[in-house]
This record gives sequence, C-alpha cells and structure tokens, in this order.
Amino acid sequence: MPLHNNALLDVAEEIERIVGERWVITQRDFIESYLKDETPEPIRPKPADNLILVKPSSTSEVSLILKIANEMKIPVFPVGGRTGLVGGSIPTKPGIILSLERMNKIEVDRENLMAVAEAGATLGDLIKAAEDAGLFFPPHPGDEGAQIGGLIATNAGGARAIKYGVIRNYVRGLEVVLPTGDILSLGGKLLKNNTGYDLMQIIIGSEGTLCVITKAVIRLFPKSKYMVTLIIPFNSRSDAMRTVPQILRSGVIPLAIEYVQLKEIMKAAEHLNDNWPVQKGFAQLIIILDGVSQEEVLLACEELSKICESNNAIDIMIAEAPEEQNRILRIRSNIYTALKPDMIDILDVTVPPNSLEKLMDEVDAIAAKYGVYLPTYGHAGDGNLHVHIMKEGMKDMDMADAIKNEIYSAAVKLGGVITGEHGIGKLRFKNLSLVLSEKHMEIMRGIKRVFDPNNILNPREILF
Amino acid sequence: MGSECGVLVFAEQENGEIHNVVYELLGKGRELANRLNKMLCAVLLGFGLEEKSRELIYYGADRVYLFDHPSLKNFDVIRYKHNIVKLVNEVKPDIFLIGATRMGRSLAPRIAAALRTGLTADCVDLDLDDEGNLVQIRPAFSGNIMAQIRTRTRPQMATVRYRMMKPLSRNPNRTGEIVRMETEFLENSGIEILDRVSASGVNLSEADIIVAAGRGLKSPEDLKLIEEVANLLGGVVGASRPLVDAGWIGREHQVGFSGNTVKPKVYIAFGISGSPQHLFGMRDSDIIIAVNKDPSASIINFSDYYVIGDLYEIIPPLIRELKRARGVG
Amino acid sequence: MNIIVLMKQVPEIEKVRFDYEKGRLDRSSAGAVTNPFDLNALEAAVQIKERAGGSVTAISMGPMQAIEMLRDALARGADKAILLSDERFAGADTLATAYTLATAIKKLGAFDLVICGEKTVDGDTAQVGPEVAEFLGIPHAAYVEEIREINAKWIVVKARMEQSDYILKLSLPALITVTKDINVPRLPTLRDKLKAMRAPITIWTYDDLSQVADQKYFGFEGSPTRVIKVFTPVTGGRRGQMISGSPEEIAAKIVHILRENKILG
Repeated sequence: MPLHNNALLDVAEEIERIVGERWVITQRDFIESYLKDETPEPIRPKPADNLILVKPSSTSEVSLILKIANEMKIPVFPVGGRTGLVGGSIPTKPGIILSLERMNKIEVDRENLMAVAEAGATLGDLIKAAEDAGLFFPPHPGDEGAQIGGLIATNAGGARAIKYGVIRNYVRGLEVVLPTGDILSLGGKLLKNNTGYDLMQIIIGSEGTLCVITKAVIRLFPKSKYMVTLIIPFNSRSDAMRTVPQILRSGVIPLAIEYVQLKEIMKAAEHLNDNWPVQKGFAQLIIILDGVSQEEVLLACEELSKICESNNAIDIMIAEAPEEQNRILRIRSNIYTALKPDMIDILDVTVPPNSLEKLMDEVDAIAAKYGVYLPTYGHAGDGNLHVHIMKEGMKDMDMADAIKNEIYSAAVKLGGVITGEHGIGKLRFKNLSLVLSEKHMEIMRGIKRVFDPNNILNPREILF
Repeated sequence: MGSECGVLVFAEQENGEIHNVVYELLGKGRELANRLNKMLCAVLLGFGLEEKSRELIYYGADRVYLFDHPSLKNFDVIRYKHNIVKLVNEVKPDIFLIGATRMGRSLAPRIAAALRTGLTADCVDLDLDDEGNLVQIRPAFSGNIMAQIRTRTRPQMATVRYRMMKPLSRNPNRTGEIVRMETEFLENSGIEILDRVSASGVNLSEADIIVAAGRGLKSPEDLKLIEEVANLLGGVVGASRPLVDAGWIGREHQVGFSGNTVKPKVYIAFGISGSPQHLFGMRDSDIIIAVNKDPSASIINFSDYYVIGDLYEIIPPLIRELKRARGVG
Repeated sequence: MNIIVLMKQVPEIEKVRFDYEKGRLDRSSAGAVTNPFDLNALEAAVQIKERAGGSVTAISMGPMQAIEMLRDALARGADKAILLSDERFAGADTLATAYTLATAIKKLGAFDLVICGEKTVDGDTAQVGPEVAEFLGIPHAAYVEEIREINAKWIVVKARMEQSDYILKLSLPALITVTKDINVPRLPTLRDKLKAMRAPITIWTYDDLSQVADQKYFGFEGSPTRVIKVFTPVTGGRRGQMISGSPEEIAAKIVHILRENKILG
C-alpha cells in the first residue's frame, strides 16, 4: 500500500518482531476507529495519513517500541478508550498509534484497599473489579469505556468528585515508560510519600506528552453499604444554585451534586429510548449520597431536604434501587451524546463553586447577545460547568470562536480556568494565554524537554 | 402402539396459522410417546380449521382433538382453558406440552392451576427417566445453571421454548384421526376481544438473539444479509454506533454505552471491532461470536468464538447452513 | 377501586455470580431488590388510584426482610402492605405460591383488580399471575402494555403477544400482568420514603391463612414440581476459541455451536 512511507514500514517490521505480526496494523481500514475520539466533528483535528497501529502486551514491549521510535524520531500517539473531547489522542502527524488495550489486567488488593491496574483496563472493568472485591471506585467520569491510562493522563473528573476528588486523588503509584525506553516506577501502595519532587503528579494530567503510563496503583474505598440518588426539581436556576453552597456547608458531604436543566436531560433520556423519571421544574439538582446504613443516609437526606425546601424545591424524589440509580447516572452521562449531532464544541470551564451561578448568567447573556442556544449543565458542587456550543443559530466558526472566547474570559474573570476536566488536547491552545503566563509556559516547556527531548510523544502545536 | 394418549400438544394458532413451535413439540412429543408406547395427540382450538388439523398429523400426531367454534376464533384464555381442561380430564394424558410463547405462557398456568398440577416454564429439553417420568430441563439464573425438574402430579405440564426441538419432516402420507369435539360455549368469559392488530417495533434489550453489524459492513444495503441471518435465528439486528450515526439503521438498533445494553443468549458480531463503548453494551451476553477481518480487533478478546475472516465470505454459506438446519429451502 | 399488587423481592440478578468450578451460585455480592416488573405493576395501580380513587394493597410472600421492599411500596403510593411470611410457605413452586397469594387475596375480601409484573427476574416463569387468576376464578390478561380505560365494571387493555396486540375488555374483578413498557415507575418523594420507614406492615403467617385454605397446598409440601438436579450448561467463561476453515466449514461450525448451546434445535 502506498499510504505508508518507507521509514514507517521499516519500523513496522521491526516492531512486528517485538509484538508479533498480528499486533502491528498497517491497513487503514482497521486503523480507522483509532483516528478519532469523542470530539465533536466540526472541531475535530484531522488525523495524519501515514500511521501504523501497535498493540503491545507488556511494559517491556512498550519500552522497546518507544526506544526505536525515539531513535528514529518517529511520533508516538498513546491512545486509551478514545473518549476525550479535545482531540487529545488524535494522531495528527505521521507515526505510531500506541494502544494498550491488551494490557488490561486488574488486581485488587483488599488489605490495602488498592487496585493495581494495567493502563488498557477500562473504567467499567475497574468499577466491576472493585465491586467484586466488595470495594468501591468513587469517581465517574462519564463514559465507562475510558481506559485507566487515559483517565490518568487527562486527570479525569466527572460526577462524584465532591467527596473524594478527581482521578489525581486516587492515583498512588505509576509505572511509566520514558521515550528512551527507561521504565520508571513512581509511588506505590502508599498513602504518604515525601521523597523528592513528586514526578507522579506532573505525569497525571500530562496528556501523553511526557511518557507512556503502563500501570497504576489506584486507591479504592470501602463499598458504601447504602447509596441513594436524589432528584430535586426547582422552578428557577437561582433557587437550585443557591441551594448548592448551603448543602456543602451543612456537614453532609454528597458524592455528587449535578445541575441539569429539564430540557437537555429529557433529550438525553429520549436518545436512550428512556424516560427521565422527574419531569418537573426548569432546573434540577441530582445529588448522590452514600453511607454505612440506610438510617444514616436517610437522616442526611432529611437534613438536605430542609435546605432544599427553604430554597423553593418543588419536590425531592429519591431513587434507592440500584437499577434506578444506574439509569439516572446513565441518562445524565448521555446528555453529551444526545446533543452531539448538533454540536460544535463542549466547554468545561470551571470557577470557584460559589461563582457558578454568576457564570451561568453570563453564559445566558452571551447566548442572548449572539442569538444562539447554549445548553449548560455541570458538576455544581465542583464549580465545573459544561457549556455546549451548538450549531443552532451559528453563522460560522468565527462566531463560535468569539462566543467561546467570551465564555472563557467570563470564567477567568470569576477566578476560574478555561478547562477543569477535558484538558488542553489539540484544541485549547489559542486560549491558554488567558490563564497561563509566559513564565508558566516556559517551565512547562522545560519539563517537556527533560522527559521527551525529541518531542516524539503526542507532539502538538506548542511544546508541552 | 398403545391406545392411550401419552403426550398431548397444544396446537397454538393465530389467524388460522399454526405456530412453528407446535411442529417442534410434535417432533419431541413423537419421540416421548414412542418411548412410552402411547399415542401422541394434539388439541387445536379455532374456527374453520379442519384443513389445518391435518397438518398436525403430517407432522407426527396420531390424533387431533379439534374444537371448531366461532367463539374460539381468537385466543380467549378463559374459553380455551375451559375446553382444554375438559379434554384433559377426559383423555388424561401423561404429558401436556405447550409452546413457551406469550400465548402459551398465559394459557398454560391457568390450565395447570385448574388441574392443580405442576407446570415447568420455558424448558429447553425434555427426557424420560427409567420409570417413564418426564424430566424437564430449564435454564435458571439467566442461563448460568440448568435445572432438571420432575412433576409429582399428572399431567406433567411444561411450556417449551421455541427453536429448541426439531420438527419431523412433513409427511402427507402419515395417517391419524381427527376427533371433532363438542365446544362448550361460554356465553360470557369475562373477556371481550375488541381488536387485534399486528405488532411492530424492535426491542433489543430483551432480545434473546442479536445479530449485529459494525463498520465492516460496506453499504447500507448489506444490512439485508445481517437481517436474513437474524430472521433465520429468530433474532433481531443490532448495530454499532458508526452505522447508526451514518443513518444506515435506526437508533433503536444501537448497542453500546450510549445505546442499548443487551444481554442476549447469543450475540453474533459481524465486522465490529469492539470499541470499549460497544463492549460495554454487550459484554454480558451469554455467548459472543465475533467475525472480523482484523485479528487484532479487541472484540476477539471478548468472544467465546471468533472467526478471522471476511463477513462477506462467511455469511452466504452461513445462511445456507441455517436454512438447512431450519428445514427451509 | 380496590387494587391489589403482587410483589416479590429478588436478588440483584446481574450481581449473582456463578462459580463454574464448584457449580454453585454465589449471591454474596447481590443485594435484595424489588422485582423490576413489580414496580411497573405498582405504578400502574397507583395511576389508576389517582384517576379513579380507591386504595392499593401490596402483597408479597417471602422472608421477613421483604418488609423493606413493602415499605418502599408504601413510599411509592401503596396504601397498605401485607407480607405472607412463614417457614411453612418456603420452598413453594409457582402453583403453591399462587395458591398462597390467592388465599391471602380472598381473605382480604372484595377487590376489583389484581396487578402483577409479567414475570420475576429470578424465577422467570411468568406463571404465578395467571395461576392466581385461576384460583380466584377471574379473567386475566398477560403482557399488558397499556391500560386504555377503567371503570367500576370493566377495564380495557392492550396486551402484547409476539405477532399481535390484543385490545381486551375484561370484566372486573380481573387480573393483569404488565410489561415494562406500560409506564415508567415514578420515584418516591423523600417525604413519603421517610414516612414509610415508620409505617406498619401486616404479617400473615401460615396460621392466619390456614383458617381459610387447604394447608396441604402451601409451601414445599404443596408443590407438585421438584428440582432434582442442577448442573452447569456447556458454556462457561469466554473461551476465545478460534473457528477456522473454509467459509463453508466455518458456517457449519457456527451452526453446530448454536445447536450445542440450544439456540437452534
């Protein structure tokens, strides 16, 4: 096939000797699904033409592959479950796509409440493995097809981050491979570790630009004996949003407080051929609570109900059956998929939690100014808002960019950042200067050079 | 051949058409009746079905009890039960088999309760023990285990899942007796059938058999191949997201995290590479068979059986084999 | 309108693991939940009550822990809940279960409508509903996916069979079994949930029912069917077995596999 230049084909042959012929794929048909992620089509970066796909089965194979690529200065794009929203894993230059999907073993250490997971295991696998061991992996960054390596490389967030935080808070150890082929072990089954600079924390959220994550030690928690999901409809957004800080101050710590609007959540349910169980009000809070007993959790619910009622909640509905709770979470996780066909971009601006309502009002004002539909929902307890830039009413991409810029500026003005969850990927460079100074950038570039002097790992527009 | 009725089969009909499960029950019933050295009987209720009742003989029945009456034209569970219970009390079969269709599953329990006899649901196999008692085999806990069940009372009643038993081949030279029964007409059964309309629509999440296609399919027209396999297996068509997004097939067919989560008894995946999102939706299927050109496709690691090959080469002979197995064409 | 809903507490079916080596079910990680179809039955009853007035009584047969499920039924709109619980009810097959439930319904007195889920996810027989109807001597409709009309004398429903939908008018009292398509069970309000936590549940034992029934039909003794053996079917975990050969050979092997696994006869 003329698609591949000779250098790449030579490398392919060399890598075949490492991983076996079956696991080096050069035929474009079979690579197709690795060339995109969940980024909306209008802004999705275009993949390069000359690419090979490699599926190693062990850390030592990864090491050998990286060593070859580094020597020949061939770009390597580590990919996970391709559930990212900012084109982070899309191979935009000719090179090697590295999928660790075969490295998907998970071992649960019940004594230490830790899981040792290979990078290619999925979030769904981890949730299940923890559950089978009577333990619990609290965060839920949406799509359960996401892989552990990707979750860590992007420091994923999602719902259920209030009580225990984002992925960073769970990673206790990493095994990574540097471009030189060196295998580095960082941290371990430790809850305290003060031995020098914390390189592991730099790698978490580095989006595959510093090294390839092959294995992780992940902290688990005891399975909550009892969990409920509350759905609380309100007639106005301000009623709903005013409730959130009051809950956070009450002493009851939910796993998640999600803000949704009836219109979009109904759309998500419809997309799944399902029905949203509470069709009341304009805005709704979805609150997940857990505890060791039904009594304890219902007592906490009672506490929350007082706060909600004092803020004009229309009703407080409770889902107790696991099936009903899973259904609610699944519908909530699919708002994005339901809106996707009509979408240009999804933002994940984040502000201090108490400024979230202000940010939403600003977004409304921007929508009104441009005459467009900007559906919003978010992780209300975390100050993390998802704004969808929709095709409806949008004249061109310049207009979309202008709107994005105004939303970013509004968030930064409120003390926030342009991305709280999805990361920079290959899309958010233009607006970085809103948040990061030249000094910030300089340090980040320096770090990149130390890890990856030849810039072979997930090379992007700017160096870091 | 003995004279008594060893096995009685309920000949389900709708709109004058006898359900295929009946012929399967006659096939199994024939075997059981021979082993018991007794007769195989069928009971057919409806209106204007004299001709149809012969078919039951061609497929193995020695005797057909025919209740031919306008009040039995459509399925009225009370009227059907009433006449069948009367018959069973007269002919006293050892074994009474009913298809585990929705009609059968609505009717059989009423008959069993009226006769105060045991009923085993949804059997996949039937056998006789040394004393000639019926051994009923049915799946339990989503098919994770199989249970053997015996019934202390008579008749031994079972509903039997469709497509489990093999029908005999139709033989118009086979002879048997058609006994026209006097229908006891119930003026008021408490049920009035106001209307009967053909149903439509797919329900993937409750399907037992799913034949699914993914990006390996080259054009939307080729979905016909997938449909044909699905039809031959009595299953429904599933699809991975790219086909749905491309508008080749409706969203109700989508399997995956953002579509339907399915748990069929068998999931056959043609040309599906197995994105994690897709795997999420089908990984709990009882049996997964994957056909894919790409030996590195991740679905292969999730399958019980896999074929490294082109679906366009595998499907045509598969359709021929299935037709042969189903005894058609 | 007096409506009775029959309910069952079942293990969370997707969490029941199977130990293939020991040939045993492991229910340790499975909690107890309401049979999902029964929530649809309850919702249908509550909707009728909201339209036509009356009361909804939930009845279940099972161990004492089923009280939890019945409390949930109260939170979801049932007015009264009765648990039939006694060791002597245990081991019942569908016939004995239906007999026991029918006896309890008779003991309750006048009723207009009994609603059940189409089946339970653990037993998967769909037999108890129609058997109860027979014991009560009332008409029934199975697989109801729509209630079109109801008044004091009759109910009009749409029942789904494989090939057709039947529009049926049943005179009351009657029994219906409902599918998941009939409605979306509402979530209870927190207030009702908290209230139900303290609500009393009526318990009827063997002695309560034996006054009005023939005790020989209860429990294991009253069950005509017996499980004589449990075994593992041919399929196990993912074996990842490759099928190779010419396309014709492959097709034949696939058909063989389908036969072996009882997909094809």
